[in-house]
Amino acid sequence: MTSESNFVELLQKHQNIVHKICRLYTNDPDAHKDLFQEITIQLWKAYPKFRGDSKFSTWMYRVGLNTSITLYRKSMRRVESQRIEPVAYKLSYEEYDDTKDEQLKMIYAAVHKLNDIEKAIVFLYLENKNYKEISETLGISEVNARVRMNRIKTKLKTQLNS
Amino acid sequence: MDELELLKKDWETSSKNYREFNKEELYKLIYKRSSSIVKWIFIISLLEFGFWTLISLGFNGSEDLKKIQSYDVNYILYPLTILGYVVLIYFFYVFYKNYKTISATDNTKMLMERILKTRRTVRHYVIFNLVFMCISIVIGVYIELTNNPEVQILLNRIESEGDGNITVFYLIVVGLSIVAMALVSAVLIGFYYLIYGLLLKRLKSNYKDLKELETES
Repeated sequence: MTSESNFVELLQKHQNIVHKICRLYTNDPDAHKDLFQEITIQLWKAYPKFRGDSKFSTWMYRVGLNTSITLYRKSMRRVESQRIEPVAYKLSYEEYDDTKDEQLKMIYAAVHKLNDIEKAIVFLYLENKNYKEISETLGISEVNARVRMNRIKTKLKTQLNS
Repeated sequence: MDELELLKKDWETSSKNYREFNKEELYKLIYKRSSSIVKWIFIISLLEFGFWTLISLGFNGSEDLKKIQSYDVNYILYPLTILGYVVLIYFFYVFYKNYKTISATDNTKMLMERILKTRRTVRHYVIFNLVFMCISIVIGVYIELTNNPEVQILLNRIESEGDGNITVFYLIVVGLSIVAMALVSAVLIGFYYLIYGLLLKRLKSNYKDLKELETES
């Protein structure tokens, strides 16, 4: 199996991670598609450095978040990507109606208002990562990750009660 | 119930709703063009290196330089030219070395630091060139004033017309040189801040956010 097919197979299996990151960092389907594409490109570029000493999914968290926080530049490619490959992007975006009940809708809206670093912490928390993993991914200390998480909780509470 | 706990429950169930890309679609995606800021930084930095190299090459072949060379001032020109190329090679080496260390697999803070460090190298190179350009203008004006026969004739004429005139003449020359240097520097610095301000604004603000977190605790 070639490295390329190996990568695509792993990516297909774990693509949900990329979707979930896009879900937090974008507000509309077009932006979601654009960020999904950029993360995929960055993952492929970084793949030669994946040595298998961590899980592929863990490695994806790091590259995906780094792309969203640091590398991604909202591009003018959106129009182009729609034009070139309409089939590839027939995504279902019911989630963007911010579903189910009013409270969840408000929580999602509040999370979208957080800054990029806070979103990364929330994302890793939602993915059941512990503070050690959060701190390693972002390059901050465990204590800092914990402090920031508490602040995010307070921030969300304040926003939701205002 | 905690807001995030509520979100977590929904997160787990709603994450199954995303549309899955098949292998063929993913193959196509990985070869798409990236629009990452690192790519743009690389392109713009290469343009900056190219711009300053072209300016220096353009000046080397110019009539003005040939005229200055005829004054037998190579003891100043050669060291300046060599210095210009040595500095270019040094900065380009450091820039490329830093650029190669940028990796999306680093932790977020380190990745940001490496990008900013790569950028800083080019910024230093631009600053060097601005200073170098200003010094060259000063040296050029000095050489013209002391070696150009036409200028000598003009100076003698001004001097014969009155004591104060020569001072006024020098003041005008100095003033014009300063205005020329300030104008070129302002245009380049303005252009520079416009491009990098736009490109790195988000990165810098996120980096500041991570750093603040560190200093607070």
